[in-house]
Amino acid sequence: MSEKVEVLKTKEMQELEEKFAMLVQTGRIDNIIDLLAVVSDNIEMTTAPMVDKMVGTIDNLATAGFITQNAVRYANREIKKNEVPSLFGLLKLLKDEDTRKGLAFVLHLTKGIGKQV
Amino acid sequence: MKKKILIVGGGTAGTMTANNLAKKLMYEIDKDEVEITMISNSKYHYYRPGAMYVAFHKASGHEFVREQRTLLMPEVKFLVDEAIEIDTNSNYVKGKSGTKYSYDFVILATGCEVAVDRIPGLKEGGNWFYSYDGAKKLAEKFAELKKGRVLVTVNFPKTPDVPHQCGIAPIETTIMLHDYLKEQGIREDIEIIYTYPKVAQAVTDGLFLQGPTSKVLPSIFDGIGVKYKTSFTLNKVDPEKKIAYSEEGEEIEFDILMSTPPFIATKFIRESGLSKAVDDEGWLPTDKKTLKVKGYENIYTLGDTVDLPVSKAGGTIHNQTDVVADNIASEIRYGYPTESYDGKVIAIAQMGLSCGMPLWYDYKEDVQPTPCSKLGSFVRKGFNMGIYWAAARGMV
Repeated sequence: MSEKVEVLKTKEMQELEEKFAMLVQTGRIDNIIDLLAVVSDNIEMTTAPMVDKMVGTIDNLATAGFITQNAVRYANREIKKNEVPSLFGLLKLLKDEDTRKGLAFVLHLTKGIGKQV
Repeated sequence: MKKKILIVGGGTAGTMTANNLAKKLMYEIDKDEVEITMISNSKYHYYRPGAMYVAFHKASGHEFVREQRTLLMPEVKFLVDEAIEIDTNSNYVKGKSGTKYSYDFVILATGCEVAVDRIPGLKEGGNWFYSYDGAKKLAEKFAELKKGRVLVTVNFPKTPDVPHQCGIAPIETTIMLHDYLKEQGIREDIEIIYTYPKVAQAVTDGLFLQGPTSKVLPSIFDGIGVKYKTSFTLNKVDPEKKIAYSEEGEEIEFDILMSTPPFIATKFIRESGLSKAVDDEGWLPTDKKTLKVKGYENIYTLGDTVDLPVSKAGGTIHNQTDVVADNIASEIRYGYPTESYDGKVIAIAQMGLSCGMPLWYDYKEDVQPTPCSKLGSFVRKGFNMGIYWAAARGMV
């Protein structure tokens, strides 16, 4: 006197089952599980200070990228606008405050590199 | 003839828009056909949501402040001057310095400000995390707190359907407070009461400004032992007796009053004559699609200054800025705007000290509460500590 139990599945569940069945049949499910485990382990083992430090590094790289990208574009524009300066013209460029600031920055940058090599 | 674009305000909205415009209009800038100028009343740029972390001793504050010039592309001319007047007939903004900044297009991105004076006693009796100074004071009080009651109150603008700054912040900070007190080992000795006003944007007698979240909140608060009360519209504080009074005639005693205070537009906007918002709140009448100030073809606005029913927060601005930049670029190139804002807001709410909840909504769909996660919290904190600056620079 067994009663036939019908399990009604939604269309979505059936589709999901078919996809998973394919992964199981081809043996690839183990790789997926491994990958999920790696992702999950990484989330569990990450701490807030680690996130701070990682993001700080990314921020430094982004800042350097922003400055470099802008400076290259600016320099390109100026080069195209003006003729190649003479030796005297180069000295005239040094009168500009931003140029001197940039040059000082490059020299300090050199010093900063020097401290580490 | 060179087109002049003037941006008033160097916060999130002004900065993102300046950089996005410079990128969008680089061709015209190279040909010397467009000039972008920003004026701001401060040399510094403050990441406002950072203050919330200061209140719970999770940041000291300086991490969230940078020099404005370092965030702007060199194509944007930046000047420190406070806007005091706008002449929409002659198309110029006057600065405190006396300089008149003429424009073909102007973007009003001056944000909003805390107006504690609008509730008697709140200035003396209350604390808030919407500014760094306010958050530091709150942090000092939390450090001293050993037992008692923290009362959370929320205030909404009188202008219908306009939210206070950062809609989810009161919930975020209530749960952060719970976690912070647990961390300190004193949660058992401190009662937290979260209250919400009777009228909160689209919701009446709720706990949040949108229906679905309002309905799910009681179970969240029950789970962490936070008491809650609807229809508590704060209208007076007795700083001596430490009692908060509501319009509905109730009173609640507190040891610390953590309040979301009233917000209004900045003085410059309130006195500009452009707003007809009630109670002199100053919100700009904004076309919900083009983001132009209604009635003006060459004035755009975004961020906290608008009268739209979307959150006054960075997650809103991030979506609005591209619409404003695209529309101004199109107007310069074709003579008409081409983009439309759909009300999209995307953010990750800090639901406690180590749980982040992704959220999104637009004009048509309310926020659907999703489970918060540790990964979500990392993304949120990562955004605070670094990705924000890339977003402000128009890199993300």
